[in-house]
Formats: sequence, C-alpha cells, structure tokens
Amino acid sequence: MTTSQFGSALERREASLFGMWAFLATELMFFGPLFFGYVHARLAQHDAFVSGSHHMHIALGTLNTAILMTSSLTMALAVRAAQRSGPTRIWLALTALFGLAFLGIKASEWVMEFGEAARAAGGEARFYFLYYAMTGLHAVHLTIGVGVVAWLWLYAKRFSAEYHAPVEVSGLYWHFIDVVWVFLYPMFYLLERYNA
Amino acid sequence: MSYVLTWLGLMALLALTFGSAYLPMGPWNSATNMAISCLKALLIAVFFMHLRQAGALLRLAACIGLLWLALLFGLSWTDFGTRTLSPAPWSSR
Repeated sequence: MTTSQFGSALERREASLFGMWAFLATELMFFGPLFFGYVHARLAQHDAFVSGSHHMHIALGTLNTAILMTSSLTMALAVRAAQRSGPTRIWLALTALFGLAFLGIKASEWVMEFGEAARAAGGEARFYFLYYAMTGLHAVHLTIGVGVVAWLWLYAKRFSAEYHAPVEVSGLYWHFIDVVWVFLYPMFYLLERYNA
Repeated sequence: MSYVLTWLGLMALLALTFGSAYLPMGPWNSATNMAISCLKALLIAVFFMHLRQAGALLRLAACIGLLWLALLFGLSWTDFGTRTLSPAPWSSR
C-alpha cells in the first residue's frame, strides 16, 4: 500500500474523512430542495398537511425512528471496534439488520398509505407527493447504506487499528442518513397530533 | 460509554418530541419539534460523527454544506416570498 501523495498515514486518513464530508455536503444539496418545497407547500396549505399527517401511522414512525437511531449507535460501535481491531463484524451485522428492519417497516407503511394517497386531491395530494418523494429518497440512501455495510461485513477481516478508513467513512454516511430521518419524522408524523 | 449516553440522549429527545406533539401549542409544536430535531442532529454530528475530536478542516467541511443550504434557501425565498404565483390553468393548486 503506497501512500506517496500523503505525508503521513494521519494525513491520508484525514483526506478520506474530508472527502466524505464534502460528499455529504453535496447530499445536503440533494435533499435541500425537497425540504424547501415542503416549507413552501406547508405554509400555503397548512390544513391539508395536518389532515394528511393524521393518516400517518405514528406508532410505526416512532418505532422506526428509534430503530434508526439505534442503528447509528451500533454503527458508531462498529467504527470504534475497527479502530481497536475489535469485534467489528458483530456491530456491522446489527447495523445492517436494523437498517433492513427500518426499510421493512417503511415499505409496509407505504403499502398501507397508498390507497389514501391515490384518492387525495389538492393540498393533501401535495403532502403525499412530498411524503413519498422524501421518504423514498431517504430509503434509497438507506438501501445503499445497507449494501455498503454488508460489503464491509464481508471484508471485515481487512480492517485493523492501522487501516479502517472504509468503516469510518461509511459510518459518516450512515449517520447522515439518520440525521435526515430525524427531520423527516416530525415533518410528516407529528403535525397537530392533539387534534387527531 | 459516551456512545451509549448519546443514544440515551437521542431516545429521551425522541420521547420528548413524541410527547410534545400531543400538547396543544399551536405553531409552537413545530418550533419545538424542529428545535429537538436540531439538538438530535447535533448529538449525532458531535459524538457519532466524531466532530468533537475532528480538526478545523473537517469541522469547516461539516458546516459549509449548511451555510450553502441556508444561502440557497434565503435566495429562493426572496423569489417565492415576494411574488404572486400564477399557476397554469391545467395545474391544480
């Protein structure tokens, strides 16, 4: 393994982390317009968004939030295990399983809501459009994340205290997906719940 | 240990958002939810994403995306906030 373009292993590690943070900034630009569209549409059609939100399955949404945040914990533990040549594989497997559980629950919600969404008109149709577009884009990212974690799991033997940049960098991506969901959850599930 | 504490903090904040949604606070519900979401994002970024130990370069890279997004939101809003939308006859509002 040559590190000729880098002064040191530390510099090399920092470069890979910096690359991932730069990529995450572009990901933010990717999600950003949808968030802007949500703010604009909701300010214009608040009541339709509230009634749309009341059709969401709040128990499943809350459970999914807890699952995804727990997957972030196991991902952080996988990164630390890799840094210390520890049991990386177990934590990676748990992370991927939590990710799959989230996707399964999300998919079942999409199926349950589809009839309602197909009948919706006006502002509520816009609510459902944004709901499917934003949670869909999020799920695409999570699917890629599960694939990456599965790949790391397959090659986990390569990682050690000396070389673990791929685990670290994938961890950043995974946590970013978690952060996006942290905002999606109240935007779609929690509107005026006291009136539901 | 700090990871588990971060996770406990995230779970407590989740319970707080969920609970607050059932208190009638009008527009303050959304404000509360967004504040809690920002706090959760901060916990994840600082502890899980290691910004606490990161150098200036990585911290800057983490903030620059948010700065750029804020600029784009602000500039877009000057358009949407100051003009009347005239939808085409065939587009339902």
